[in-house]
Amino acid sequence: MSNTYIPIPMKLERIINEDPDRTLRTFDLSFVNKQDEEKFSYMPGQFCEFSILGKGESPFGIASSPSEKGLLKFTVSRTGSVTQEIHYLQEGDIVGIRGPLGNWYPDEKLRGKDTVIIGGGFAFTTLRSMIVYMLDHRQEYGKITVIYGARSPEFFIFKDELKEWEARADITLHLTIDKPYPGWDKLIGFVPTVTKEVGLDPSAYVIVCGPPIMIKYTLPVLSEIGFEDSKIFTSLERRMKCGIGKCGRCGIGSKYICIDGPVFSLEELKKIPESF
Amino acid sequence: MKELQNKVKQLLNDKEVDLVIGWAKGSLPLVSTPVFITEAEQAEELIFDHTCRNNLATYLTKDRKRLGKKYNKIGIIVKGCDARSIVLYVTENQVKRDKVVIIGVPCQGIFESRKIINCTNGREVLEQKIAGDQVILIGRDFEIKVSREEVLRDCCLSCRYPDAPEYDHFIGEHRGEINVKDEFKIVEDFEKKSAAERWQLITEEYSKCIRCYACRNVCPSCYCNYCFVDNNDPQWIGKTPEVTDNIIFHLIRNLHLAGRCVDCGACVSACPVNLDLRPLNKKVEKEMKERFGYTAGLDINEKPAMASHCENEKQDFIMG
Amino acid sequence: MIKIKYEQLSALIDFLTESYQVYAPVKHGKETAFKKISSASEINKSKYNTSLNPKDIFFPQSEVMFTYTKNGIKSPPEQGKPIAVWGLRTCDTKSIRMLDKVFANAYQMPDKEMYKDPYWIARYKNCLLFSFACNEPPSTCFCNWFNSGPYDSSDSDIFVTDTGDEYLLEGISERGIKFLAGYPETSQADQTDLDKIKVLREKAESYMPPVVELSGLKDKLLKIWDDPVWDELSAKCINCGACAYICPTCHCFDMRDEGNEDKGKRVRLWDCCMYQLFTKEASGHNPRELSTYRVRQRVMHKYNYFVENYQQFLCTGCGRCIKVCPVNMDIRQIIQKILTYKEV
Ligand SMILES: Cc1cc2nc3c(=O)[nH]c(=O)nc-3n(C[C@H](O)[C@H](O)[C@H](O)COP(=O)(O)OP(=O)(O)OC[C@H]3O[C@@H](n4cnc5c(N)ncnc54)[C@H](O)[C@@H]3O)c2cc1C
Ligand code: SF4
Ligand code: SF4
Ligand code: SF4
Ligand code: SF4
Ligand code: FES
Repeated sequence: MSNTYIPIPMKLERIINEDPDRTLRTFDLSFVNKQDEEKFSYMPGQFCEFSILGKGESPFGIASSPSEKGLLKFTVSRTGSVTQEIHYLQEGDIVGIRGPLGNWYPDEKLRGKDTVIIGGGFAFTTLRSMIVYMLDHRQEYGKITVIYGARSPEFFIFKDELKEWEARADITLHLTIDKPYPGWDKLIGFVPTVTKEVGLDPSAYVIVCGPPIMIKYTLPVLSEIGFEDSKIFTSLERRMKCGIGKCGRCGIGSKYICIDGPVFSLEELKKIPESF
Repeated sequence: MKELQNKVKQLLNDKEVDLVIGWAKGSLPLVSTPVFITEAEQAEELIFDHTCRNNLATYLTKDRKRLGKKYNKIGIIVKGCDARSIVLYVTENQVKRDKVVIIGVPCQGIFESRKIINCTNGREVLEQKIAGDQVILIGRDFEIKVSREEVLRDCCLSCRYPDAPEYDHFIGEHRGEINVKDEFKIVEDFEKKSAAERWQLITEEYSKCIRCYACRNVCPSCYCNYCFVDNNDPQWIGKTPEVTDNIIFHLIRNLHLAGRCVDCGACVSACPVNLDLRPLNKKVEKEMKERFGYTAGLDINEKPAMASHCENEKQDFIMG
Repeated sequence: MIKIKYEQLSALIDFLTESYQVYAPVKHGKETAFKKISSASEINKSKYNTSLNPKDIFFPQSEVMFTYTKNGIKSPPEQGKPIAVWGLRTCDTKSIRMLDKVFANAYQMPDKEMYKDPYWIARYKNCLLFSFACNEPPSTCFCNWFNSGPYDSSDSDIFVTDTGDEYLLEGISERGIKFLAGYPETSQADQTDLDKIKVLREKAESYMPPVVELSGLKDKLLKIWDDPVWDELSAKCINCGACAYICPTCHCFDMRDEGNEDKGKRVRLWDCCMYQLFTKEASGHNPRELSTYRVRQRVMHKYNYFVENYQQFLCTGCGRCIKVCPVNMDIRQIIQKILTYKEV
């Protein structure tokens, strides 16, 4: 029997600094073993336990898209002991991952439908995965609208890609920052406000991912616009250890975020004690 | 008992306090349970006897002092050791003296369930009665008489200050300072042993620790928001219950409690594997007393020990 | 049903040790616990269940998940012989079966390799559980609230009744029946033995508390989960965690690395939802900041969430938590208060 707790080895190919504070870094990893790569099949929205032997594990959403073969991408914010250690890594280092874990964004439902993607801060990781995946299978989806907010222009992650997407006609991008900033000619305002103002069509599906406070204020706006609870999806975070529904840490109500989530519809969340 | 209940009723009725923390009869024959009383009628539930083992002062610092935020003035019923915890809180700026109304009760000593179970050879006691200096333990098919001394907690047997050193009301007769001769007997016995024997004793006892940290969590003096054992950056000690790490955990805890342990026995009663945590606590207490003439929680105007005497440390502390 | 005399126990244990690693209740410091034994003389005979729980046999309080060096990761050694446990109580056996549900699979995704806990499975595989009838349940037992009782043999492999001078062994599961069939001792229990059992059983059952009907508990909990009553229910708990460490069904754990980058191990350790740090996130945010929420979690998990996922309570009524709680939080009283509470 294989041991689900043993991480598979990955090689750190590339490190990208995402922000001026150097608290956000993106790590591109490649599989050390071909067989691991073949077995590793995932969907946007899933996550992995990222392991540094001697320091521990931490869960991160997968930022790469399944269509980007041979590569796994994570953007890590430095907050505590494991994330700090991840920031110390150098290109060429070997690390471990376990996954893919959890469920994913409701790709089956989105096919042929319009989708609105709303993100804030560095929680844009799995949203990037979804967007890249959709763009790589563009004809299978309807209209794609993205609202993405950050503190200031420097704190957007994946800046190069954002530029590319802005140039494309088959995706609408609304970038917004909290306060006016020299040279910024796009939207200014918090995500919930922008969401209200850009004129969304409530027949679409919505995926929201960001800091808890952003989610808290955006959900009512979406309901106000007329989106049904069953069409609003969000990704939750709780402290995790095992990632496979055993250690009890990530429980909300009778669900475990690591296996029943992290993606939940608002309809589901409303039935779960402790979800907000 | 009536006097205590009436006092509490009066304090609540006169709005002198918004809440009173005390003890009520528990669900098992040998235990009482803490109660939180906000209505005068509830005061009828209050008891004070040899089962009231909890140190109620703990609740003043629990959950980031939530009770203090919810209630303006809290009445608290205390034995000597509980009162000393409150004094400690006041000297360590955890609790404001004018926010608590301390109600002292004369403590004759608390029974220890473990000792009672030893007397009955493990058989369950369903009822206990006090008859003078004797305790009658009654089970399904036995009735055993033992002397009070046999079942009193170790900390009560060597308690010098059964009365609250600081109080607003005192119910009943003061017992005064007790002239216990062998207060530090367990420590002295321990010190007489060779280093190897001491090590062996400690290893044996602490190898059973399951590192649940119940002892720390019930301890009134362990109120740090971040305890050293929880820190993982740097990680001070291994998390596995291996005997060396267990000992390190307990030694560091002991040192953090130097001059702060009031010997209330809370840790001993809480430990689910019944480790005897007292000898090391007592060792530290003895050192503090001999070197600095300090006993925790006696004087509300005194500066906390660890803040005032940092030098003069001898090196031969625990194992030497 | 076969019977063996007290004196023949050591032969049985010797026979067992040939093909099993045998665990049984032994004295452990001031407590009693299940430990591996090599002969019957080590066994601690007691009328009561052990003070420490049996989950430690299959889900040790701390265990090495793997070790690592610069050259790679190494799994822990294989388990060897399967495990046999002598001296369990009905409630102990039930608790082990409950944990198996958690560790063997994820509830909504049976038979997916990645959700199988290899450490648990390695120990649990082919285990043989001897559960004992309780002839003298102490006053803290309330297994009869959970459709069980001191003479409930379901879930056992072999059910054992201690009649005072002999053990009557009844094969319950296929594995148990097969074991007994292969055991050399063959004296069969007769009518007098069955009569003895009947008397003992009636006596044991007379010691149990009145049954409290729990069928409404799960729904009631969901109804009041957001009610202020939890403040009152949780007020005296000091979150010491002793209840979860002593509980045979609590299964939360932590994973930690010990060592440096060159060499070390990843271990898992029991943990519990009563601790503030259990859910505290790196950002400082803590969804269960208050003690109230943590006490609620314990009660909800045992009597609602687990029922939702596995259609049974995560509690066997063994009474251990009642005995250890330093502030006398009595789970029976909490259940009863919840059942009779009129929500606001
Ligand atoms: C499904 C999911 C996806 C995530 N995706 C990302 C991402 O893409 N980028 C990113 O920067 N962060 C992400 N996080 C948050 C990230 O996991 C935590 O910030 C990180 O675990 C903190 O670890 P630490 O060791 O540095 O902090 P410490 O405070 O030292 O934490 C110690 C341990 O606690 C656990 N822990 C602490 N906080 C969290 C938390 N918020 N969530 C889960 N476990 C925690 C971890 O096991 C960690 O190793 C995600 C969390 C979840 C649950
Ligand atoms: S309460 Fe007992 S078992 Fe738990 S950590 Fe303290 S000494 Fe160890
Ligand atoms: S043993 Fe009692 S005080 Fe300790 S956490 Fe459990 S219920 Fe709370
Ligand atoms: S909750 Fe208490 S009574 Fe129920 S199984 Fe756990 S320890 Fe036993
Ligand atoms: S009650 Fe708490 S410690 Fe026990 S299994 Fe449930 S979540 Fe874990
Ligand atoms: S992380 Fe262990 S149960 Fe979800």
